[in-house]
Amino acid sequence: MSAVGNIGAGRSAASERVRAAFSFLLPLFVLLVVWEATVRIFDVHPGIFPGVGPVLRAGAESVANGTLFLHIAASFGRVLTGTTLAILVGVPLGILMGVSPGVSTVLTPLFRFFSVLAGIAWIPIATLWFGYGFGAITFVIFNAVFFVVAYNTLLGVSGIPHALRNAAWSLGADRKTMLFEVLLPGALPNIVTGIRTGLGFAWRGLIAAEMIATNMGLGYMLFLARDFYRTELIVFGMVVIGILWLLIDRLILAPLERRTIERWGLVR
Amino acid sequence: MKSLSIRNLSKTYFDPYAGKHVTAVQDVSIEVPEGEFVSIVGPSGCGKTTILNMVAGFLPVSGGEIVVDGRAVSGPGPDRGVVFQSHALFPWKTVLENVAFGPKMRGVGPKEREAIARDYLALAGLSHAADRYPNELSGGMQQRVGVVRALANEPAVLLMDEPFASVDAQTRMTLQEELTRIWQERRPTIIFITHDVPEAVFLANRVVVLSKGRVLEEVEIDLPRPRSWETLIEDERFKTLSSRVLQLVRSA
Repeated sequence: MSAVGNIGAGRSAASERVRAAFSFLLPLFVLLVVWEATVRIFDVHPGIFPGVGPVLRAGAESVANGTLFLHIAASFGRVLTGTTLAILVGVPLGILMGVSPGVSTVLTPLFRFFSVLAGIAWIPIATLWFGYGFGAITFVIFNAVFFVVAYNTLLGVSGIPHALRNAAWSLGADRKTMLFEVLLPGALPNIVTGIRTGLGFAWRGLIAAEMIATNMGLGYMLFLARDFYRTELIVFGMVVIGILWLLIDRLILAPLERRTIERWGLVR
Repeated sequence: MKSLSIRNLSKTYFDPYAGKHVTAVQDVSIEVPEGEFVSIVGPSGCGKTTILNMVAGFLPVSGGEIVVDGRAVSGPGPDRGVVFQSHALFPWKTVLENVAFGPKMRGVGPKEREAIARDYLALAGLSHAADRYPNELSGGMQQRVGVVRALANEPAVLLMDEPFASVDAQTRMTLQEELTRIWQERRPTIIFITHDVPEAVFLANRVVVLSKGRVLEEVEIDLPRPRSWETLIEDERFKTLSSRVLQLVRSA
């Protein structure tokens, strides 16, 4: 009996996933069709907006000669470095703000102010400080992720019920165990949400920064293609940027967020 | 398990809305000898939870002292285990890890603390739930784990703050019976805060009635053990004691 029930449950979960994937991909496919049809019906000049075919050929070419992967690798390296640094600084600072009302009182207005500016508004000054290249772009990404992660960590820590901290104290916890066994895991769902949101900002900031401040990366690929009137390569780059973000968000960040929140029953 | 003395305890705080100092607890002294079960009852606002929070070390005292096992205490510590009204289990730890948390803090090794935790889980009939997370348990089971987690740390005294107030009536009776059984088996020293008079009488050796931050009266509960609701619900002595405590609480 129960075995039959389990098989049924497994099948319905799998078909649920297929349906979710289908309903996500269908509108994108429709867009593709509308795009191609529009280009053909109105006979759009390929220099203004290319059809699906030229874009695919441009893509195949950049895959074949390896330039696409060089650009992707450069972009990923910057995102990874900037995000890692932002997490390493943002999480401890958020926790400090969460446990110390004094620190939080002083820093909260500053955070509000700088989170508005986070991202591309820093590009001009970042290039003055770090020159054109890795440093400036990594700084912009750091900036985009840092404030969101720190602020979400603060929210996470202050959202931990007071009884949990009291319970830990009265079970003999010291400051170190309080940090690693109560505050960090308690704030983790918010931290993950912060990383997810911050990376979204960072990805946009990255493309913008790469157009201005470097000679490698996906943003630069778009910019360079414009100089050579390679519209089909520009469109291909835009598609790659969108797809890469969807993959990162859907396959890594969203499941990570779901798992930490759902398993612990911390649905907000 | 060891004794607890609350001596001339008081608590005043500044009420910003009233614009004056308010006395929540005034000159309260309660003696709890080793292995005794004391209930503290009183209407809301009588100061019972304030007393418990001071004994637990969550609130600073304004006057008097708290002596556990011969030593004056301040601040929270593992000598006073606390069971909370909102179970306060760590949602990111399994039931087993929650119960093993206290022993872990004491520096007990992984194998040994797991054995301790399993032993205490078995005591409360929770062995099957060891690997589950708190949010996967019913309210009654969460409270059982909360009791067991505090016990597994072998505190000198166990402080229970209306731990059964938020479970349904049937479960509450079962939990009360289980608690009296566990108390008989292990003889912990317990202070149990409640506003439920029958609960206070059913569980305790002695009931302290609190009124407006002072001890109104102490009532000895000389009912035989083991206690179960089935026998006590019709018991004349239980009825007399309950109505005596109820009158005190209502006059409070």
